[in-house]
Amino acid sequence: MTIQQLIFIALTVVVLGAAIFVVTTRNLFRAALMLIVSFFGVAGFYVLLEAGLFAVAQILIYIGAISILIIFSVMLTRGMRGMIPRNSQAVASAVVVAIVFVALLLLLGPVRIAVDADQIPLVSLIFRNTSPREVGQIPWSYAQSPQTPDQLLGVPATYIADFGRSLVDISQYVLPFLLIALMVDIALSGAVHIARQRRPAEVVAERQEVLQENEEERKLIEAADKKEAQALPETAMTAASEH
Amino acid sequence: MDAINNLLQIIGDFIAGIINSIFGFSPLIADLVVMGLAAVILCTFAALSFMGLTYAERKVVARIQDRIGPNQAGPLGVLQPIADGIKMFTKEDTTPAAADRWVYNLAPLVIAVFALTTYAVLPFAPGVVGTNLNVGVFYVLAIGSGSIVAIIMAGWGSNNKYALLGAFRTVAQLVGYEVPMLLNVLPVVMLAGSMGLIDIINKQTLADGNAGIPFILFFPLSALVFLISGIAETARSPFDLLEAESEIVAGFHVEYSGMKFALFFLGEYVNALAVAFMFATLFLGGYAGPALPPYVWLLLKAAAVFSVLMWLRGTLPRVRIDQMHNLNWKFFVPVSIVHLIIVMVLLKLFVTDAALQQANGGILVGPGVQMAILFFASAGTLVVSLLLVARRARITRLAEEEVLAQRRAENMATVNA
Repeated sequence: MTIQQLIFIALTVVVLGAAIFVVTTRNLFRAALMLIVSFFGVAGFYVLLEAGLFAVAQILIYIGAISILIIFSVMLTRGMRGMIPRNSQAVASAVVVAIVFVALLLLLGPVRIAVDADQIPLVSLIFRNTSPREVGQIPWSYAQSPQTPDQLLGVPATYIADFGRSLVDISQYVLPFLLIALMVDIALSGAVHIARQRRPAEVVAERQEVLQENEEERKLIEAADKKEAQALPETAMTAASEH
Repeated sequence: MDAINNLLQIIGDFIAGIINSIFGFSPLIADLVVMGLAAVILCTFAALSFMGLTYAERKVVARIQDRIGPNQAGPLGVLQPIADGIKMFTKEDTTPAAADRWVYNLAPLVIAVFALTTYAVLPFAPGVVGTNLNVGVFYVLAIGSGSIVAIIMAGWGSNNKYALLGAFRTVAQLVGYEVPMLLNVLPVVMLAGSMGLIDIINKQTLADGNAGIPFILFFPLSALVFLISGIAETARSPFDLLEAESEIVAGFHVEYSGMKFALFFLGEYVNALAVAFMFATLFLGGYAGPALPPYVWLLLKAAAVFSVLMWLRGTLPRVRIDQMHNLNWKFFVPVSIVHLIIVMVLLKLFVTDAALQQANGGILVGPGVQMAILFFASAGTLVVSLLLVARRARITRLAEEEVLAQRRAENMATVNA
């Protein structure tokens, strides 16, 4: 067992342990903090993959920004103590998540399984005459390049420059990149809109309050002025003109 | 002379040699021990500099404010930090009854860890660096954002409303000032063509190892905004709103005592020193300099930056919270974005590399001419933006004065009637 494998196992334990803590604890604030630990573990995975830029971006974005946002929404939520982290949909959602997870693993993961669709009763109705075929044929997946780990290519030294260029290259990811920017923009302005939206009654009440305050202030000033003018008319006038 | 210049490297090689001969049976273990030792030395350096910095700051601020400062423990009070440390250790370690115990106790540790982790990438001399990360600048800024988490943990875990208020202020301030900080590191990164700190220093060094043109002369605006944002990021005076004693007692660390409080203190000073080191590295040329050994140059530059921080602390009153946010979002961020765009265009237009000019076009100029162009562009942006702000402020002030004059006239009319 190499040292990389040891580190990988330790990181996996941290990430999964923290993630399980997040979904089982009753204290939402602690859940958010453990989520940060989990994010750190993922940053560790990036370091292990020799992708320092993405590790640092993970820390800056997920820990520096998103976690803070989550913590704030937790802090501003009422009655967060003693909540039960389960509800009536827990079993159903667990089943759905498991199915999706297995499907993703089969489609994208390194596991190659020869599936004869005609042998499976329900699936054969949909995929007719396609069998036998292999699941897991995404080009970038491990399955397409049967190399032993030491044959795998390392991360090229210019990966940051390549990554940067791919974001502005017309033939690569410039459109998704711009779309994401647009989406974040829309989300931001939407949040501002929702935060600023008030009920008409509230606006009216607020305006009346302001008007009332102004009126009171004006009366106070007038009263003070009158008092001053009655007591010392000359001094008040010179003082007023001096100002 | 050569031995003095490479003193740190020679000591490091010596220690590594000893360890390698002890753990000769396994290079892996030897490497691990060397790295662990290097980490311990770096952390010890930071912690010791914390002791020196508290003393220096108390003395300097006292002198600025016409006081004497610590003068009882040892000659000129130099033993004061040790006395303070002993006092901290003997204090009772209290925990509020209603506190979230785990979060409360972890917060000081987390802040100290984040503060010390920054030093892993700072280059102290050629070849003397924890790790030469190719995303060094980005790493320092990312790790800096981790201390926000620690302060929120402290504020929430204490279960105290003043602590929580302090934590709320922290997030608004620290998240906000990250933006101009990043925006003003970008010109440096673009000019150096790398995010690695050593590459940035090499770019400010001539081929023969002497100091070249420091980046502060290329981007005076960036240097200024970076320094001010750095002060705000480390929450030092005049931006210490998260621990404003007169408003929220002491903010997020109000419930902490003894060594836990000392760890928060350590985090603050170590972060401030890291900002000084970063400024020295990014804008003043790092360890490059004539005659003196490189580590001495770096320490001198960092000390100069830190003395500016102390000077500001001793002279400026605390800013109001709305002024602080206005300064950030209405001045620093827009000015930095405009500056960034100008720098981008100028860097593409005036190139110093003949090969780049062949490939991308542009006008070939010498480094001095490029420096002059960028300096005038950057300083011009600063001056123009300040003039715009002054004009805006004058308009606002005149309008306010007009309203006041009108009100006075009305009052006069009432008086006359």
